[in-house]
Amino acid sequence: MPRKKRLDIIHRWEGNPVVNLEDLSFQALDICNAGAVKIVDTYLLLITIESLMGHKSLYVARSTDGHYFEVDDKPFIKPSADKAYKKYEEIGVMDGRITPFEDTYYITYIVESNHGFRIGLAKTDDFEDVTRLGLISAVDTKGGTLFPEKINGRYARFERPWSGGRIWISYSDDLIYWGGFEALLSPRPGHWDASRVGDAVPPIRLKDGRWLLIYYGIKDTSAGPLFRIGAVFLDPDNPARILARTNVPILSPRKHYERIGDVPNLVFSCGAILEDEKLLLYYGAADSCICLGSTTIDEIEQECVKSKGEF
Amino acid sequence: MITRPSVGHDILQRFEGNPIITLEDIPFRCNTVFNGSVVKDGNRYYHLLRIEGQQGYSVFALAISKDGLHFTVEDKPVMVPARKGPFARYEARGIEDPRITELEGIYYVMYTAYSEYGTRIALAKTEDFYHYERIALVSEPGNKDGILFPEKIKGEYVRFDRPIGKKIGSMWVSYSKNLVDWGKSELMMTPRSGMWDSFRIGASVAPIRTKQGWLEIYHGVKMTAAGPIYRIGTVLLDLEQPYKIIARCDEPILSPRKDYERIGDVGNVAFACGAVVENSGEIKVYYGAADTCVCVATSDFNELVAITLNGKSS
Repeated sequence: MPRKKRLDIIHRWEGNPVVNLEDLSFQALDICNAGAVKIVDTYLLLITIESLMGHKSLYVARSTDGHYFEVDDKPFIKPSADKAYKKYEEIGVMDGRITPFEDTYYITYIVESNHGFRIGLAKTDDFEDVTRLGLISAVDTKGGTLFPEKINGRYARFERPWSGGRIWISYSDDLIYWGGFEALLSPRPGHWDASRVGDAVPPIRLKDGRWLLIYYGIKDTSAGPLFRIGAVFLDPDNPARILARTNVPILSPRKHYERIGDVPNLVFSCGAILEDEKLLLYYGAADSCICLGSTTIDEIEQECVKSKGEF
Repeated sequence: MITRPSVGHDILQRFEGNPIITLEDIPFRCNTVFNGSVVKDGNRYYHLLRIEGQQGYSVFALAISKDGLHFTVEDKPVMVPARKGPFARYEARGIEDPRITELEGIYYVMYTAYSEYGTRIALAKTEDFYHYERIALVSEPGNKDGILFPEKIKGEYVRFDRPIGKKIGSMWVSYSKNLVDWGKSELMMTPRSGMWDSFRIGASVAPIRTKQGWLEIYHGVKMTAAGPIYRIGTVLLDLEQPYKIIARCDEPILSPRKDYERIGDVGNVAFACGAVVENSGEIKVYYGAADTCVCVATSDFNELVAITLNGKSS
């Protein structure tokens, strides 16, 4: 008897959402999304939370099982009062993504001001103290997922400039000056990712050497955008080369907690944890809570790449 | 003392022979000629022109002059969109708006590469204005009006650029150690609501060092029900931190008024790409008019700086 198809390739945890407003020790407007990393036995999330004033900051949450999290009551990164940063992040800091790199953790995040959005870069060794390294993009470039190792001797990242709604790759010798920009992934007319795409989770090196990029795709409807999640497999030696791209999304908004909220019909991820073959995807739902879903690399490959969307 | 032109005119004085380059001066068939950058090398003026071909995409041609007013255009374009190699996919719809900067004895050209991926800033260099060596594409898409400063500042290369943030086109300053990788972008100047440069602004001419700061000639756009009006303005910038404004002129120094500025493929456009400061103290500002021809207008350079410092012409 054929196996009953599940709703999506990412299987939702039945206890979702993992973090919502009731889990906070303070009042807030909403909870948007989270970066994720596992440090020894601790699952750590970097959650974007919007204050009652409407300004976003990044909060650390910790868990021993990956399901039940304690959220700090003070932000880890908040809009800076420092003159060098203030005018670029007075509206907020958001979309924190964590990249383990040698002995440290880099955090890329988005800063927002009336002048637009930029990518910020910080580093931490312990998620107690954080050092800002700079703002590393032109205005209205978002995403900014840093590779966990150098590519051909250079730092590398994905990014999403507003113009064209594509994912680009770029390179740097020092993390501050960036160049070598190349367009990587474009929206597909008529598909679920027809309007815009963007890098979601920092690239993951798979056991076979390939890179996995989990991205988000947007389809604009008359009622607003639909945010879904897809995946791309990239060349082990040259991640600017696409080996395979999911024909179907691996996660679509279907549950009430994904359909109802400040920004409805939205699933948006900034972090995932790979445990052997199992991929834990932490994702924001409807800009109102954090959820957990899981799958395997093989399942992504089977259902999305080899099926060519036959369902 | 600042002398003021009579009412109804502009701070820049138009050359009576305008336009100085039109379609009739181009030895090959094309659609329009506009937005040229000029350098004076010895007694010769080299004028790198943007020419839109009949196909609809732009290339660069070279014009040469001995007096800066009367130019002869070379028989063939000197730079055309790359059709192979790493630049090809980003120049498929043309190369636009060249800006020449002399830096450490080399002529660099920043220009706009245009393709389905959007507009990007590209960098090339030349020794003779006939041959161009591409260096790199130096911005993300959605950026243009890149202009290199004629000196390094604190050991770094510096440029203007014009990304769009939240639909607002402001001027930024970015830095580089090798001309290829860029960063540390700082916001320099935004459009001014209610004024002639309320919709969008961008760098126009390579910045000129003065005792009072960098003089930058920029373009400002006001949007009307019938479309945009492109005017030319000035700002003085801090010599060490050029994203800091010392003084910004409230008035444009040139507005489209003449028929050759009002009538053309894109009417109501005066768009400078180059300027030459003569030993006599005169500045020649070269500008494209109505995206259809090339013109020149002049001023006493010190007076232009004084007007900018004063913020207005009277």
